[in-house]
Amino acid sequence: MIALRTAIEVLALVAFGYFAVLNTIYFVFTGLAWRAVRHYRLARSYSAVEEAFASPLTPPVSVLLPAFNEEAGIVESVRSLLGLRYPEFEVIVVNDGSFDGTLTRLAEAFDLVPARKAIRASLATARVRATYASRRHPELWVIDKENGGKADALNCGINTSRYPYFCAVDADAILEEDALLRVAKPILDDPGLVAATGGIVRIANGCRVEHGRVTNVRLPQSKLAVLQVVEYFRAFLVGRVGWSGVRSLLIISGAFGLFRRNLVEAAGGYAQGTVGEDVELVLRLHRYLRDRGEEYRIEFVPDPVAWTEAPEDFATLSRQRRRWQRGLGEALWRHRRVAFNPRYGLLGTLAVPYFLLFELAGPVIELVGYPAVVASAALGTLSPVFFVAFFVTAILVGIFLSISALLLEEFSFRRYGDDGDAVRMVAAAIGENLGYRQLVTVWRVLGLVDVARRRRGWGAQRRRGLGYAPVGGTSKGR
Amino acid sequence: MSVAMATNGTPLVLVADDDPDILALVGFRLERAGYEVLPARDGEEALSLALERQPDLAIIDVMMPKLDGYEVTQRLRSNQATSGMPVILLTARVQEADITRGFEAGADDYIKKPFSPQELRARVQAILGRR
Amino acid sequence: MSLDAVVWAALALTAAGSLCAYALALRRLYLVRSDLRHRAGEERLRTVAVALAEGDLPQADEPAEEDLELVAELLARYSRHLTGEARSNIARFFERHGLVEREIMHLDDRAAWRRARAAFLLGDVCSLRALEPLLRALQDPSREVRSAAARSVGRLGSGDAVEPLVLALVERRVPRAVGGQALLTLGADALQPLRPLAVHPEAEVRAAAAELVGLLGEPGDAGLLISRLRDSSAEVRAKAARALGRLGAEEAAMELRAALGDRIGFVRANAAVALGLVGDRASASALLEVARSDEFDPAQAAARALARLYPQMLWSAARDRTSGPHLAEAADLTAAAR
Repeated sequence: MIALRTAIEVLALVAFGYFAVLNTIYFVFTGLAWRAVRHYRLARSYSAVEEAFASPLTPPVSVLLPAFNEEAGIVESVRSLLGLRYPEFEVIVVNDGSFDGTLTRLAEAFDLVPARKAIRASLATARVRATYASRRHPELWVIDKENGGKADALNCGINTSRYPYFCAVDADAILEEDALLRVAKPILDDPGLVAATGGIVRIANGCRVEHGRVTNVRLPQSKLAVLQVVEYFRAFLVGRVGWSGVRSLLIISGAFGLFRRNLVEAAGGYAQGTVGEDVELVLRLHRYLRDRGEEYRIEFVPDPVAWTEAPEDFATLSRQRRRWQRGLGEALWRHRRVAFNPRYGLLGTLAVPYFLLFELAGPVIELVGYPAVVASAALGTLSPVFFVAFFVTAILVGIFLSISALLLEEFSFRRYGDDGDAVRMVAAAIGENLGYRQLVTVWRVLGLVDVARRRRGWGAQRRRGLGYAPVGGTSKGR
Repeated sequence: MSVAMATNGTPLVLVADDDPDILALVGFRLERAGYEVLPARDGEEALSLALERQPDLAIIDVMMPKLDGYEVTQRLRSNQATSGMPVILLTARVQEADITRGFEAGADDYIKKPFSPQELRARVQAILGRR
Repeated sequence: MSLDAVVWAALALTAAGSLCAYALALRRLYLVRSDLRHRAGEERLRTVAVALAEGDLPQADEPAEEDLELVAELLARYSRHLTGEARSNIARFFERHGLVEREIMHLDDRAAWRRARAAFLLGDVCSLRALEPLLRALQDPSREVRSAAARSVGRLGSGDAVEPLVLALVERRVPRAVGGQALLTLGADALQPLRPLAVHPEAEVRAAAAELVGLLGEPGDAGLLISRLRDSSAEVRAKAARALGRLGAEEAAMELRAALGDRIGFVRANAAVALGLVGDRASASALLEVARSDEFDPAQAAARALARLYPQMLWSAARDRTSGPHLAEAADLTAAAR
């Protein structure tokens, strides 16, 4: 009995400690993000992006679009990519063994003809069945291959690309016209130094999309989607900007990232067998470059936007969050050597430990710790009044952080012009902390459970996956 | 092919660009020179206005939303009613590939951005004067 | 942690949160109002601004004091799209109203972003009075300021800017793309100081010079670039080959063909691209060989070059199954384009 009591007390203490440290980190990051995003916004007035568009010195890019059963939106997506403002680029669509009308829709819309294509043998991928060129758009290629998963499709795209840089884009993402130009800006400024850049992902539900462009930015109708909009502000505007600032950006969204091709090839391409291939690749690039002692930068650019669709029902959302957590877990496990390793600088001593403790293990601590706090109060170790006060404060902290992220958005990019939307976002910032985040925590714990289970059945899983049942859809980017 | 005139006898020029500043600058310059200007904000609007109003000349920006300048030019060329319409492309990029593409699409001339309004007027006058 | 501390924390957070929401609301109101005002002003003043740019504004219609800022903003934007007389008109407007001097003063501001913005604006306005201060700004401690200054100096169009720009590039004070583009904007004036840089001790400088000479150069520059085809640095050789292609230098054909045998893959690739642009049919069989048997990048470049030069040879070669994937690809691409 006493052991149980002590256990509960210890857990409660851990929970308090976790809470204090985590929120301090959030506050620090919010501060960092303010500085960085304000500066970025000011810098826009002298960023000369237009001139980069007209310049022959802007490096060419291969845009890769892995697609699995995307017949609904693939034509719009490709059209939007073909219309990007960028001087020289090609679009390579990799049809990852879709069994719906993806290929037929593409063939019709872009006047595809079979055309042989030379493909590098540098990264191993599933078999390529056929390649198509477009009569109307000489810069468009469609590769039809057997299903192998998103990483496999991307590697195939890399093998096919002509240019020194590639931009991986999700099939359901809609890029802004200038997105490629802006995400390439760090590379323009320091071509030898910048290895990869990532842009921000925003939620398109509720926005009007015409001809492959978002023409009117509005909040979605679905309450669940609005909650995600606010959540993304915190995750992207605050989180990624902060990490990018301390040279430890861990995550470049699979929905929109620009990479130097020969680096990724040398590092081995995208990894198979994980749903977190985007996180895993960035981690691997960090390691590859640091192991070689090369100076490099991987940056997050808060401006160029990829619009994606957010799940509007609980089932899809929970699957997505479980998958994200699983991906994070798999990626961190593969690169566990980096954790607490001073050889990897701030990445090893700060970023990876943070992700391990607060993003990976965090949900477990929350799920176990907070009930322990409740139990403590019930047992009398903790004064119930104190407990209530603490509970209220915890929620207020969350609300404050969410609202400050909103404020940051308001003072920087200000995409949501409608006032009604602004009010809804404030309401969502409050509501986010009253159940939504807790729900997400539960899903994330389930995601961790998935990782643990899968790892034990690793060998068996892999054999079943290769070439038999479809390994899975292109995971919607994080 | 006869030159379709605007109702009051002055030549009609279609100007298509998604940048309102360019529309203002080009429009002003041409109106000052005595032409009537028909503005369009994107490729689709440009095409429909061209087919509807039959301007004597079309000045089209290459990079426009919905339909880019090359596509608009191609469609104008392939449509019997507008196949003879002179087209000047406005473009920020003058690499060889872009110029070839423009001429292959059927453009008669191109003007590089940044441009000189005087030069633009001279070119317009040259093309319309020939008719 | 005492109860009081927690309660205070809760109160502080509530206050802070509410303040944020309040700030949000205020900011929106302010911005919406200022946006509307701004747009209305623009509507009203647009004709004046355009007329000013055309030099067509009668004296009586000169904008009033309070409208000056807005007109200046419009003109700065317009100036980006214009060259020639219109641009000088705009520059003179700014000079007349002391706005150039004002921005030049901002170049000494403590905040780097203000200096950078001033440097950028001075490039929009294109008043030659800003040349000296901008050249000095090429030495600014902040990289962003130097970058904006370089871009602006390019737009000013003065030959005096070439040497300082080239120096800034050589000393890596300015990003290569920005500095390079500024030199390209300056045009033929930049050639003179660029040419000797093609033999600069640092390879990176030689490479940048070769690239820019290719984009700006005259046919007479072919000799200079041909000599760089034998440079010790692969990057220089590659850039020189590319440049020769851009110049369309037929006399380089033989040397370029020799470069098809270079040790380094991307040099061979660039040589192939150049041969396609230069139009030397005699190189067709050499290109065919490269397309058949070389590494990926040079083979692909050679196949595409062959498609430009001698399509018939390409098609007959592509029909042979042993020709390899690049010839097949180039042939299918040309067929698709017809």
